[in-house]
Amino acid sequence: MSRRYDSRTTIFSPEGRLYQVEYALEAISHAGTSIGILAKDGIVLAAERKVTSKLLEQDTSAEKLYTINGNMICAVAGLNSDASILVNYARVYSQDYLKLYNEDISCEQLVRRVCDLKQGYTQHGGLRPFGVSFIYAGWDPLYGFQLYQSNPSGNYGGWKATSVGANNATAQTLLKQDYKDDCTLQEAGELAMKVLSKTMDATTLTSEKVEFATVGKDKEGKVYCHLWKPAEIDLLLKKFGLAKKVEDEDDE
Amino acid sequence: MSDPSSINGGSIVAMAGKDCVAIACDMRLGMQALTVSNDFPKIFQYNNSFIGLTGLGTDVTTLSEVFRYKVNMYNLREERDIEPETFANLVSTTLYEKRFGPYFVGPVVAGINSKSGKPYICGFDLIGCINFAKDFVVGGTSSHQLFGMCESLWEPDLEPEDLFETISQALMNAQDRDALSGWGGIVYVITKDKIVKRLLKTRQD
Amino acid sequence: MDVILGITTEKEVIVITSRAAVRGVSILKTDDDKTRVVAPHTLLAYTGEAGDTVQFAEYIQANIQLHEMRNTTELSPPAITSFIRTQLATSLRSRKPYNVNVLVAGFDTATDKPELNWIDYLASRVKVPYAAHGYAAYYTLSLLDRWHRTDLTLAEGLEVADMCIAELKKRLPIDFKGVEIKVVDKDGVRTEKVTE
Repeated sequence: MSRRYDSRTTIFSPEGRLYQVEYALEAISHAGTSIGILAKDGIVLAAERKVTSKLLEQDTSAEKLYTINGNMICAVAGLNSDASILVNYARVYSQDYLKLYNEDISCEQLVRRVCDLKQGYTQHGGLRPFGVSFIYAGWDPLYGFQLYQSNPSGNYGGWKATSVGANNATAQTLLKQDYKDDCTLQEAGELAMKVLSKTMDATTLTSEKVEFATVGKDKEGKVYCHLWKPAEIDLLLKKFGLAKKVEDEDDE
Repeated sequence: MSDPSSINGGSIVAMAGKDCVAIACDMRLGMQALTVSNDFPKIFQYNNSFIGLTGLGTDVTTLSEVFRYKVNMYNLREERDIEPETFANLVSTTLYEKRFGPYFVGPVVAGINSKSGKPYICGFDLIGCINFAKDFVVGGTSSHQLFGMCESLWEPDLEPEDLFETISQALMNAQDRDALSGWGGIVYVITKDKIVKRLLKTRQD
Repeated sequence: MDVILGITTEKEVIVITSRAAVRGVSILKTDDDKTRVVAPHTLLAYTGEAGDTVQFAEYIQANIQLHEMRNTTELSPPAITSFIRTQLATSLRSRKPYNVNVLVAGFDTATDKPELNWIDYLASRVKVPYAAHGYAAYYTLSLLDRWHRTDLTLAEGLEVADMCIAELKKRLPIDFKGVEIKVVDKDGVRTEKVTE
């Protein structure tokens, strides 16, 4: 029955659903978890990187976290190849905006633009929707630190803490339990890592499996976006007591 | 007088020293003989590369925005800073894209390679032909005067402070003999781990 | 031989435009307004080729308003100025460029500072304390060099403006039928005075 409707992206099923969009969401729910938490002085993004094989060359660059421009980063869940198209689109669009107005694009404007592109693929025929959900973290002078989430249908919303990818329901519950409105960047980072450690298949976290990024302000009040290096992540995990050694001791 | 590259006026000079480079520009923007502004800097910084753009005012602004765009994209895609040599080639290809309807500019690039620590300076014509130099490069409406000044003042292996003095004197004395340049100056002295920017107060006429 | 003139004071920008619309040797209109309000805190004053000027100004006005509707925020004067410059720069290398010179007077509510930008038809842009286009520049810039200060009050600014207008009346060969004096400050754009 469903074959009549799900082979075309643009046709509603009798129940009023767009199957291809739902399949895209399904694809995302198998991807590594990504978490975003808004703190009062910044934002944390953390993501699980699925290590498929020991033989796989570990890329030095991030696979799930990307810088979009000087004051915005995003976490990806879903098809990485689709994501890189959209990330590039977002980068180009924010540079176009910067060139035209000599001012950085506001966070919501950029999120909306990328979502409009995604929406187009749920309506125009013959094409497959982007199988990607994003968590965007950014800062602009109008609304300060902001966290957004978007999905393949082209919907987006602002969040205080959110997650996408595998086990995102579990992650969401944990976040709802432990999120505090006035938490600091430090606390948000710890929470993100803790939630990630519980939703991941592996029992221990390492920099091979986790990516971590922060948006915040430095001492001079300048906004920075920082994708953490593996060594920094390992150090952080140790501090939070989530690294391998500490975990082993706990088991005993 | 309707030559696009001398409507707005302006000059630029770059020099290499011992493990340092300097680049300097004037501050004038005019409409033929009328000075409109004495606050129009022509040097732009992208990572550890500097570019001085002289010529038609509109193209100076446009190109500074284009290079910001391209360098930002380079930084995002390569996840590292752009080196002066690479940037010079970016400038060259960007200018040649407009081979048959060019930007009316005379750019000069200066910087220090962050890996090798070698000073790098070069100049371009308006369609992107690179002029590699190991001593100095000049550009703009007082380029002839600047050639003379640099030819007589520059010497090899100048230390940063001496290089500053040399480039400043070269610029100031050249622009005093050019009606379309002057009204202040900016000098950058660049060493491997320090960038010093100085403003030159010069005659306002 | 239109007059457009901008002077920044400590807290506002004064914009002076002539009221005559001239074609060849004839004066067609004596209550012409050579400005458009493009955003609540940004005023665009223009001169140039007859058809191009209003067409261009209203094109800018419409696009800025569209941007404002889509994004529910006001664009800052520097952002608007950049936008205008880009449009002129693109137009410059098109088949039929706009022949328009503009002054963009704005009050930046983010920095709480007045701002004046000078842009000519070549899309050269500079931020300036005072500026004029066309022949008016030759007569007024020297006066402004002498009397302008960054800490002028509005009253003092208007006084300097009057000196400029008196000089223009004296030197320009054609009567420009008085001026409209507009002020852009933290409260937006208003017409301060209209002279005959």
